[in-house]
Amino acid sequence: MGKRIAVVISQGQSQNPKKRQLEEDLVTKLMFEAGLDVTVIPHLYDLKPDGTGILALRGIKGDFVICSWLYDRAARWILDRAGVEGHEGTSLLESSADEDEEFEEELGEDDKDRVIESRDLPARKIYCLDLRSHDSVRPYVDEIQRIAKEATVSTVDLMGWIQGSPTENQLQQYLNEPATESGVQTEQAQTPGSPDQNESQVVRVEEQSGRRWYPVIDYSRCTNCMECIDFCLFGVYGVDKVDTILVEQPDNCRKGCPACSRVCPENAIIFPQHKTPAIAGAADLAASLKIDLSKLFGAPEEGKSAVDMAVLERDEQLQLAGRDVVGDSVGLAKNAEGDAAQPKDKLDNLLDELDSFDL
Amino acid sequence: MTELLTFMMGEYAAEIPVDRYYAKNHMWAQSSEAGFRFGFGAYAVRLLQDVYFLDWSLDAPTVLKQGQMMGSIESKKAESDLFAPMAGRLTQFNERLMEDPSGINVDKYGAGWLFEIENETISDAPMAGLLDPQQYLEHLGDVWEVTQRTIKGQVNG
Repeated sequence: MGKRIAVVISQGQSQNPKKRQLEEDLVTKLMFEAGLDVTVIPHLYDLKPDGTGILALRGIKGDFVICSWLYDRAARWILDRAGVEGHEGTSLLESSADEDEEFEEELGEDDKDRVIESRDLPARKIYCLDLRSHDSVRPYVDEIQRIAKEATVSTVDLMGWIQGSPTENQLQQYLNEPATESGVQTEQAQTPGSPDQNESQVVRVEEQSGRRWYPVIDYSRCTNCMECIDFCLFGVYGVDKVDTILVEQPDNCRKGCPACSRVCPENAIIFPQHKTPAIAGAADLAASLKIDLSKLFGAPEEGKSAVDMAVLERDEQLQLAGRDVVGDSVGLAKNAEGDAAQPKDKLDNLLDELDSFDL
Repeated sequence: MTELLTFMMGEYAAEIPVDRYYAKNHMWAQSSEAGFRFGFGAYAVRLLQDVYFLDWSLDAPTVLKQGQMMGSIESKKAESDLFAPMAGRLTQFNERLMEDPSGINVDKYGAGWLFEIENETISDAPMAGLLDPQQYLEHLGDVWEVTQRTIKGQVNG
């Protein structure tokens, strides 16, 4: 068997015809590249736990490339959360997000222990490409060709189970999915029937899934400090057998609420669909190319600290869930201790002055 | 079609049907049984142009505060967060737009509606802080300058 590499295209949620066109152009171009196994999946973030899409991704054993409308950090750690693990493949795709690496290096310079250092990841690389980096397919195809050459590990035939060697679990899952809700279609680049090893194959995984909302943890930043598990009151977080933090119950998360990511001291918690790039997984604050109409459509003036916003967002969600609000009285103990050691700031002085009045 | 007022956005005539009310965030509001149905008016749709993506950060039903962030929209020309035009109980979103948000462009004053909000304590539009068509027309006159500056500022900046 030749050295094949899998390429996954994760479709966007948006109906933007330019985005759809880019996805399809990329699939078409890749079909005629030798030795690639192309899989098209619905939006990576929305895939159901243990659904057809996730199973297809878990079926990929060697190095692979995933192109998605997500920051590369977000894509990588969504995969990790879904049990699709590997080392970070370094993409040379030039984009506005290129300060990533510098930033990562800066983070790596301190002496904090990151969770990733204690994790045993499979010896393969996952390359995440952000489809927002370029408008045309050429840079992606070039980069995928480069990665395919770089990949020296012989990969297991992608999706072998579709062609007749499924594991029992995969088979059951596949058979149990109603035909109308999900399906897998295979296209051959050239002559159907007896696929040549050099030909590329396109597998389309369909899955009817609603939009999801949950955090993913970037373990290359996470220090296992437990601020998030203390702060979140909805039981999203838990710990594994060796007491490492994990997103245990993603679907307990409250739609739209990014509060835990605001209190994370390492900025390790990603909400891939949040509008703020820093929360959605960007390492830098790449400016949007579109006009922001929020101010015209009624956005309130900003000017609150991250922790203040997190406390407000959490109270909002507690209220929605019919529970009592807690303000800043729960889950911020460590911050408060830290503050006590700090010299007093202007606000403290002001409060002291207020206290001294006999009201 | 019912009677219309128009507001000139440069060359473009934004049509304002007089059979409904308007919120300052450029949504229209039409009384339904217990509250109001909201959608984007011509002014907003003209600024957005083709809508590609609509996402709500809340699940219906839920209770809304006036001005609360509800979700976001992405179009050919712009993107924006979306905010509650009035307080009350959000009863439903227009599910048809989740698959294909271009319904907003096709029929903004009809099938392209966005959501419904009920509020038993509010008996009429003025109580909800909504404007009648004439008041909304005046409001547009007031904000058109700012709108143009916002767009130009971002395009040039």
